[in-house]
Amino acid sequence: MKVQLENITLAYGEATAIDRLSVTVEDGESLVLLGKSGCGKTSTMRCVAGLETPTGGRITIGDTVVFDGERGVRVAPNKRNVGMVFQSYAVWPHRTIFQNVAFPLQQQRLPKAEIRERVADVLALVGLTEYAERGASLLSGGQMQRVALARSLVMRPSVLLLDEPLSNLDARLRDRLRVELREIQQRLGLTCVYVTHDQSEALALADRIALMQGGRIVQIDRPEKIYDAPSSAAIADFLGVSNIFPCAPAGPGSAPATYRLTGHATEVTSDTPAAGTGKDPRVCIRPEDIRLTGEPATGANSWPGRVDVVSFQGSYVRYRVSLKDGPELDAVVPRRATRMLDVGTPVWASADPDAVQILPAEVPA
Amino acid sequence: MSTLLIRIRRGLPTSVLLLILGVLVIVPMLFIALAAFSSETPRPGSIGLSGLSLDNFAIFGSSQALGAVGNSLLVAGSASVLALAIGCGLAFLAARTDTPGRRFLYFAGIAPMFLPSLVGALAWSLLGSPATGFLNLLLHSVGLNITVNIYSMPGLIMVLALYYAPYAFLLVHGALSLMNPDLEEAAFVHGGTRRRTLRRVTFPLALPAVLGSGILIFALTMENFPVAQVIGNPAQIDTLPSFIYRLMNASPSRGNEAAAVAIVLTGVLLIVTAIQQRAVLRRKFTTVTGKGVKPKKVPLGRWRLPAFAAAVLYFVLAVVLPLGALLIASLQNSPYVASLGQLTEPGALSFYALGELITSDDFLQAARNSVLTAVLAGLIGTALSFGLAYTVYRTGAAGRRVLEFAAMAPLAVPAIVLGLGLLWTWLVVPLPVYGTVVVLIVAFLAVFLPQSYRGVSASILQVDRDLEDSAVLLGAHRTKAVTKVTLPLMRVGMVSTLLLLLMLCMRELSAALFLFTSDTRLLSILIFDNYDNGAMQGAASVSLLYCGVIGVIALLAKSLGARTVDGAR
Ligand SMILES: Nc1ncnc2c1ncn2[C@@H]1O[C@H](COP(=O)(O)OP(=O)(O)OP(=O)(O)O)[C@@H](O)[C@H]1O
Ligand SMILES: [Mg+2]
Repeated sequence: MKVQLENITLAYGEATAIDRLSVTVEDGESLVLLGKSGCGKTSTMRCVAGLETPTGGRITIGDTVVFDGERGVRVAPNKRNVGMVFQSYAVWPHRTIFQNVAFPLQQQRLPKAEIRERVADVLALVGLTEYAERGASLLSGGQMQRVALARSLVMRPSVLLLDEPLSNLDARLRDRLRVELREIQQRLGLTCVYVTHDQSEALALADRIALMQGGRIVQIDRPEKIYDAPSSAAIADFLGVSNIFPCAPAGPGSAPATYRLTGHATEVTSDTPAAGTGKDPRVCIRPEDIRLTGEPATGANSWPGRVDVVSFQGSYVRYRVSLKDGPELDAVVPRRATRMLDVGTPVWASADPDAVQILPAEVPA
Repeated sequence: MSTLLIRIRRGLPTSVLLLILGVLVIVPMLFIALAAFSSETPRPGSIGLSGLSLDNFAIFGSSQALGAVGNSLLVAGSASVLALAIGCGLAFLAARTDTPGRRFLYFAGIAPMFLPSLVGALAWSLLGSPATGFLNLLLHSVGLNITVNIYSMPGLIMVLALYYAPYAFLLVHGALSLMNPDLEEAAFVHGGTRRRTLRRVTFPLALPAVLGSGILIFALTMENFPVAQVIGNPAQIDTLPSFIYRLMNASPSRGNEAAAVAIVLTGVLLIVTAIQQRAVLRRKFTTVTGKGVKPKKVPLGRWRLPAFAAAVLYFVLAVVLPLGALLIASLQNSPYVASLGQLTEPGALSFYALGELITSDDFLQAARNSVLTAVLAGLIGTALSFGLAYTVYRTGAAGRRVLEFAAMAPLAVPAIVLGLGLLWTWLVVPLPVYGTVVVLIVAFLAVFLPQSYRGVSASILQVDRDLEDSAVLLGAHRTKAVTKVTLPLMRVGMVSTLLLLLMLCMRELSAALFLFTSDTRLLSILIFDNYDNGAMQGAASVSLLYCGVIGVIALLAKSLGARTVDGAR
């Protein structure tokens, strides 16, 4: 069901965790909240679930207003039909898996036969059929995560909230479960809010990504849009742009889109529109957009330097190049593109002007 | 409108809890303060608000009062140093050395805890009274002309130290055996010798536990009444608690001056407890993870046997001799024993007196009262502590810091003082509570609130709040989530708190001292009464049975503890 937050504010004592936040999650959509630790992602979810009471604003799930600060509406969390998978899973260790998953249906006082059937269905969906009678304290992390998911799915929630459900798992399991989660969400047409601070997880799971900062949403868009056009250097940093340098227009006499890096002689030309950069602009270049060659490249943006660090990462190689009279640059080069360079090799680093973005350091929230 | 209702509903539990704590802790303390500055004590129909002045504090001009202050500081100071030495020494031997019989060492370290200090003091006065003490009879019968006199300052200090050493043992043993071995191994790796590592790494890491327990013992011995009375009184050594008791029992009763002394005693304890709390807090940052890895043992070489012998000596002094003395005293047929030889004559010992006692109305009534008050205080105290801990740690209720503070406040109030305050409270309150077991239950609830609150809150903190929240999201009402998820997960912690309370209530004398009547005597009161009337045999027999009951509770607690460990696997 559609979930709508309007002007939600939440304070813990003096500190404001969420600041006049508004966002709409469409029916069947998967929205990912992405942001630094402490930016208010968990708090936002807890407001939707009803575990925290905002100081103001309105929350609507489907057609029901579940919270309205002005009219004093506050639907209890157990009446909201919101499913939530906690970061800690919160699987009850003193109950079997069956008892864990059957709990919401027992609360609804459904007939026993129906409960058994629905639990069996959902356990099959998450692949835990054989484990139904196991005690929940004996499960692995991945299994716990599935139990927590099954327990929320079985009650057919209006919206499913997932708070970093994969962050306690090892990398390979994480990759696999990520795909499974997305598949289940799309198959059931679930409305989902998903919290993470892992950018690749966000890109893989989202219909839309909302970037949070200091209790507010600073950019919200489809994954590929955000990836291609972050609206600030801070957001770009979050999405894996590791070359970010303060800069200033190169001054009279040079081309209009040319900038000089602050504190260096290096000049950078950008083809992307520099509108709205305001004061304190930043040069942002993705490491995979940097090319390393033996000779200077033709055109703008070719800088001499020397390889400082080489780090082999399997399908690609990550280099750190210190530019002559310039900063250090991160470059990611596909393994097969060139032979590996050694530490100390003189190289030319270059970047297409249309891969160079000039962004404001922060967008005003 | 509905927001107002919500507010009231949310504020209600906190207000009820505050009210309860007010009646249990705050009002009694106010009565003490009032009486200390007034010329009459609270009594039915009057809270004693006349003639407010500082006159009562003039008692501190008397040599008796000053002597009591001095004695209290001297006794508590020396006893805590001695208890620390014994407790830490044993803890080090048991936790970190290859001394033989580690299980025995551990047992010796904690066993004296199950002898209430009242019983210990009584036993030692049987052993060490200069005229008829069993030890002296023994010494004389082997021809040695030495007389042990327990009724002396060193005697008082020794008895206190013997029975408070286990507190140091438990805390320091915990710190030493949970210490992360990485910390020590790092020191070895960086070239430290074993001795240097001990001195530079191990001991400093255990220091907060040592200091914390030292201050705790200082506070406990400072407020200890039974030992001060049983050992100190014959020696004419008054400490603050026994001085308060004597003022109250003087005729006419000098309650106002007793209150003034109580205020001073509480003041001292307040400072000491504040220091202790800080030491405990600091400890959180420093030591020890509970990783359960066994730290390395220090080889003692030729000191292994002497170390073991020292532990045995402590065990004999604190447990074996006292229990032996109690046993002989309760079995002997003639009230006066002039030499040990007398005891070996046929018919000198029999179970007759013990049998009489067990079936006597006095004993049965006291046992019933003791068990009843302990069980009720235990159940109510655990439930109350749960309410408090839940409100403090699981809700955003306004005033939860106040609740926590009030729950911990009795830590700084000596039991005998709190008892006095409760006496006056329930004399004034027009409810038929004074003179019933209810007032004793109230007293125990108040005195042991800090312990039970701590136990329950430690256990609630171990249960992740997400576990309960998820039950609510899955459709359960909050109360149902608590009963279906939170409480079952806290089961072990709650039951251990209940048993701890049972144990503490069974042992307690001081808090009940001013509150019992002839119908509501407890086992501890019965012992004290017998002793007070010079009926040593009765006192000894009841003590013996009393230790039996406490032992049973301890065993229950232990088997529960064992199950906890199994459950964790
Ligand atoms: N119970 C609480 N009491 C006080 N402050 C809190 C509480 N919970 C969160 N905060 C504060 O509110 C802010 C937002 O916290 P929140 O848990 O929503 O962050 P988050 O984005 O989920 O972070 P993370 O990625 O680390 O989980 C933080 O500054 C945090 O310190
Ligand atoms: Mg979070």
